[in-house]
Amino acid sequence: MVGYIDKIKEISERLLKDGKVDMVIGFRKGTMPMMNEPHRVKSADDVKNLVWDSNCGINLANYLTDRKEKIGIVAKGCDSRNIVTHIIENKIDRDQLYIIGVPCKGMIDSHKITNAVSGEIVDVVESNGEVTVKGDGFEETFNKADVLQKNCAVCIHRNPVIYDELVTDLVEEQADVDRYEDVREIEAMSTEEKHNFFDDLLAPCIRCYACRNACPLCYCPTCFVDESRPQWVGKGDDPVDIKTFHFLRAYHCAGRCTDCGSCERACPVGINMRLLTKKLEMDCLNLYGWEAGLTLDNRPPLDTYKPDDPEEFIK
Amino acid sequence: MEFMGIERDRLHLSWISSAEATKFVEVVNNVTEAVRALGPNTHFIKNEAKVA
Amino acid sequence: MKVIKIDKAKWNDGLEALNGSYSLFGPVKQNECYEFKKLDKDEQLDLSGLNTRMSAKGLIYPHTEAMFTYTLDEGEENHHIMQPADKDYSPRAVIGIRPCDADAFLLVQRNFDTPDYKDPYWIQAYEATTFVGLACNNPCRSCFCTSAGSGPFHEAGLDVLVVDAGDYFLAKAITEKGEALLKVTGWDNELDSDTAEKEIAALKNDAEAKISSTILTDNLKEMPITAVYDAPFWEDVAFACINCGTCTYVCPTCWCFDIQDEVHGTSGTRMRNWDSCMFPLFTLHGSGHNPRGEKVQRVRQRFMHKLKYYVDKYGDGIQCVGCGRCVRACPVNIDIRKVCDLMNNYDEATCAAQ
Repeated sequence: MVGYIDKIKEISERLLKDGKVDMVIGFRKGTMPMMNEPHRVKSADDVKNLVWDSNCGINLANYLTDRKEKIGIVAKGCDSRNIVTHIIENKIDRDQLYIIGVPCKGMIDSHKITNAVSGEIVDVVESNGEVTVKGDGFEETFNKADVLQKNCAVCIHRNPVIYDELVTDLVEEQADVDRYEDVREIEAMSTEEKHNFFDDLLAPCIRCYACRNACPLCYCPTCFVDESRPQWVGKGDDPVDIKTFHFLRAYHCAGRCTDCGSCERACPVGINMRLLTKKLEMDCLNLYGWEAGLTLDNRPPLDTYKPDDPEEFIK
Repeated sequence: MEFMGIERDRLHLSWISSAEATKFVEVVNNVTEAVRALGPNTHFIKNEAKVA
Repeated sequence: MKVIKIDKAKWNDGLEALNGSYSLFGPVKQNECYEFKKLDKDEQLDLSGLNTRMSAKGLIYPHTEAMFTYTLDEGEENHHIMQPADKDYSPRAVIGIRPCDADAFLLVQRNFDTPDYKDPYWIQAYEATTFVGLACNNPCRSCFCTSAGSGPFHEAGLDVLVVDAGDYFLAKAITEKGEALLKVTGWDNELDSDTAEKEIAALKNDAEAKISSTILTDNLKEMPITAVYDAPFWEDVAFACINCGTCTYVCPTCWCFDIQDEVHGTSGTRMRNWDSCMFPLFTLHGSGHNPRGEKVQRVRQRFMHKLKYYVDKYGDGIQCVGCGRCVRACPVNIDIRKVCDLMNNYDEATCAAQ
């Protein structure tokens, strides 16, 4: 992953110099360990600031919504699936985009690493599938596979599904991963346990809406929680209002979510709200054989009707 | 809804034509019976908002 | 002011003695982070964390706070008339607040406690509270308090400063409120104040030397507002921003709120909730016009308010205490230190010439 950046820079520079695009959207080096900042490069001189490593978890498709320019965009597997979804939903035109595909080996979960060491992290270095964490008076090395974001650990679409150019050869997709183990654990609970589980899960929420805003799918001009005429949801920190927000947001992502993990990654209080979207993702797969963002040729199952749609739930 | 802690029998979805009076009665009876068996709902009820 | 030496073994005894006279609040570890919490009897606070994830702001100014209650039941005599909400302003003590967070209340006070306007909720809660601060011997790398007008041993806003001196604590009373609290604790090993002050000063120097992150704010005041407002860097700063409210909610000095009514049956509550200048709804007019409809305008507003408008209005520094929370919590790594540098170093003439 670390070696990709030279190729990303080369392609970006060429695109900008040739006037093929008005900007390239990628990442620049962050100021905190395990953080990079989404960044748009407008001139070939600025290309040097682009970076690529395992801290580029934010989904860049989020920065394409309703843009009018010609854009080069660096896209890992999940980003590319959200680009497909954006194109299907008319949030961007395929012709506007030059997609620089990045076969991805997974992003680092900073929460996991922070919790695994005692003390403040000063620097995190990545090489050969290992992640070395340095701090005052300690240095620890982890296997990258053990500190991946939860969604990356079970990802089976690491390669971009749509691209104009790849930065390297496609990577081998993970096989034999159990993608829905955590969802099944919840399904096995009793009603009361489920209810309490989500009560606890969502209790720390501060309603900053970072999950929603980091999500490429959440582009409504006015979100239902912001609507005031009529006001659907209370705006305070009442637990029922907080749950309503999270549950409804998840529903709005049904059949669209690519499990890119941006929501969980963005959450300042560490809530795994992916458990909600994953349930819907699993249902879409089981009921309709559908995974979001894999193709431009088919309409998503929830915006089409087919006579053979499953309907056991209708009595 | 079941996943987030609402009992399966509390929510019903049915497709009934305006000509299917018998089915309508049957469904309403079934729904009432199922929900009554569960008792009053205790989840996702907001009374007065929680404030500090 | 007097300094008391507290044997660490006697620390909890003193806090227990406060129960009854004060309700106690302090940091406890919840899941992976430290948060301020009202301590139940027998519950112990945990001072081992660097700082809490959320600031102490919510203890005085809760995320959601009732202002009034009312009834719509016309059978009631006082229907449709706002009644003050039931509040508990009995004495409370916040133990283990970091100096930056306590200092932040003084900045916020300028908004809630002015000669013309006095916010009864904030003022009563603030006055009911005694702040027992814990000096930072090991500040975080993302803390920049010393160049933001605060510091790891900063005393402003605190009633008592507690310093961890290894085997024992040193507690320095800063205000009369603080002295009163110390009396209740039963800690009584008063030291000669000169010697104690020297010991504290030495630890303070060590701590300040560990601050590795600083900002420069010296040009902000003189800079013309319109120049920096129109500066070309805002688009670049704002690009990554997803316009969530994280920075403003974790910030100890962000004070904006939104007033809402909620009615259940015939009884209603008028409440205020934290609001954020990052949200488009924050400035949406009734007419439908939004003066800050674009993301870049909202991002600029947050930084201009903290680093320029506030500086100009009050004339004694920025509206930031350098706690570094927004830097650590931002999902896309927008860093106020970088933005402050851009603003402070901005030179209209050079930029125009380029």
